[in-house]
Amino acid sequence: MVTTSSLPALSDIPEVLPGVLRIENSDKDATTPIIMDMLRSVYPHDQIFGEYCPVQAYIAAPPREVYEYLADTRSLEEWSYSLRGFVETDEPGLWLAHDRLGSETEIFTRTVAHPEAMTVDYHCAWDQGQHLWMIYLLRVVDAQVVFNKPGSVVLWVNCKHPFYDENPYPETAPPKRPVWVGDFWDMFSAGHQLEMDNLKAICEYRAAHGLPIKPDWMK
Amino acid sequence: MITPPHHDTSGLPPVSLVDVSSYLPGEPVGTEYFTQFARSDRMAKNVMFRSPKGRHHVARDETAVDMVERAVAPLIERHGEDAIADVDVLITHTQLPDNPVLGCGPEVARRLGIRPSFAYDVHNGGCAAFVHMMAMARMVLQTTTARTALIAATQNCAGPVFTQTDIRKLAQAPVPGDGCGVGLLRKDDSAPILDIECRTYPEFAGDMDFSTNGERKYWEPGEGQGCVSFTESKVTKVFARGNRLVPEVALAVCDRIGVKGSEIDAFVTNQPNRLFLRNWHDALELPPERHPDTFDACGNLFAAGIPVTLDVENRAGRLANGSLVLMSAFAHAGDFAGAAAVRWGAAR
Repeated sequence: MVTTSSLPALSDIPEVLPGVLRIENSDKDATTPIIMDMLRSVYPHDQIFGEYCPVQAYIAAPPREVYEYLADTRSLEEWSYSLRGFVETDEPGLWLAHDRLGSETEIFTRTVAHPEAMTVDYHCAWDQGQHLWMIYLLRVVDAQVVFNKPGSVVLWVNCKHPFYDENPYPETAPPKRPVWVGDFWDMFSAGHQLEMDNLKAICEYRAAHGLPIKPDWMK
Repeated sequence: MITPPHHDTSGLPPVSLVDVSSYLPGEPVGTEYFTQFARSDRMAKNVMFRSPKGRHHVARDETAVDMVERAVAPLIERHGEDAIADVDVLITHTQLPDNPVLGCGPEVARRLGIRPSFAYDVHNGGCAAFVHMMAMARMVLQTTTARTALIAATQNCAGPVFTQTDIRKLAQAPVPGDGCGVGLLRKDDSAPILDIECRTYPEFAGDMDFSTNGERKYWEPGEGQGCVSFTESKVTKVFARGNRLVPEVALAVCDRIGVKGSEIDAFVTNQPNRLFLRNWHDALELPPERHPDTFDACGNLFAAGIPVTLDVENRAGRLANGSLVLMSAFAHAGDFAGAAAVRWGAAR
């Protein structure tokens, strides 16, 4: 059945918005060449990772268990590259660890997880636990739904908060520390992929050997 | 993906691409020829914008053999009749065979007055046929007493197919051009082939159709105009494959000969459209000037694109002896791709 739109789409905007391509103002013959032009053999690193850092992986382990593992802040003690020595602070749910990327560097983490959506957001900051501005957004997806096979897909995105460029709380930094977390932004895509590979290897080992994905010591 | 076996030829005698030559039929045909048939002003504008500025069309009675003979003529001038008479390996690729049941090799041999011990007409190298034929010629030269090979890539479907009354209205009709490019190979180290990579991708076979746009088989009488086509759903898949395949085989050759893509002096590919050209030199981190093309003057020359462009560049004095020339191309819908590196030695 051919229908024309009955919803009052864009009725609040009296003109065609520049940069908005819809089939009404740019038909398929006009739009296809635009899309073809956007496809490349290689993409500039900055275009892919400039303001965002997406990494993703398939993990051969049950999604609910992978979610529950990630939702425990202490899992970072295992699959992160450099966060070590997690202890809970006096403030419930706020954990303190050391980021061994920087000497004497404390990192604070609060995990916000939603079991229905299987989202796990780590809200972190170096040096102080008052303003947790480094946000790691993770989502676990049932691979059965997206790949038609058992297992998990983990999507992980970081957005480049302006504080990555400049430490907003220099007074909380340890004296003479030579680096700032944002100095590593251009390595985040590779560094996070490395950590994602850690996560995959750990979860897949446990799944293949009949071990609980979330180890007993975290329970 | 399974890595294809590389046929290490380091213990075998060197083979050189000692010269190239080419032929373009007739006067250039302007894009206006096609825009007059466009179904709308908008399409005409689009055609003007995306098409090559010119292309050559083979004459109705000009055969693939004619084209090869004309492309070889400068080689005879430069190397002497004896050099061509000595050819003992002849390999031809013809886009649209004049006689669909037999190849043109023996007739090319008759026209050139040669008696090759090995004559092959190959039809599966597509736009990468020049590299495909280099690989075959090198194999024969390295493993037999044969000393000289002539390879010929003929693209002759632009005039006959893409000017048919139904086909010339299509947006893709102005893109192909006709031409022929030939290469002379010899068992010596004067302009050595440093490495060749040829890969067949069976998983991508069958994604390109030849149909009469009707019920009729092409050999049956009746309505409908024959043309090569991709289904709409395959066009972007083929585009994405092409984006990947040409740099992939090119960089495989670079890896083995120990150079970076950015160190290539001249990168010569097949030339289906401007987007591929941009994407491929971007992938090798080369400036456009080191990725010469004949697209605007000749359109998509299919298999002849590599040798014609090499010849144009060489005649313009832009290929210095000793420079590193890398050829790379993919065929059809991606069922074949090949790359070859040569230490140039045919400078003029």
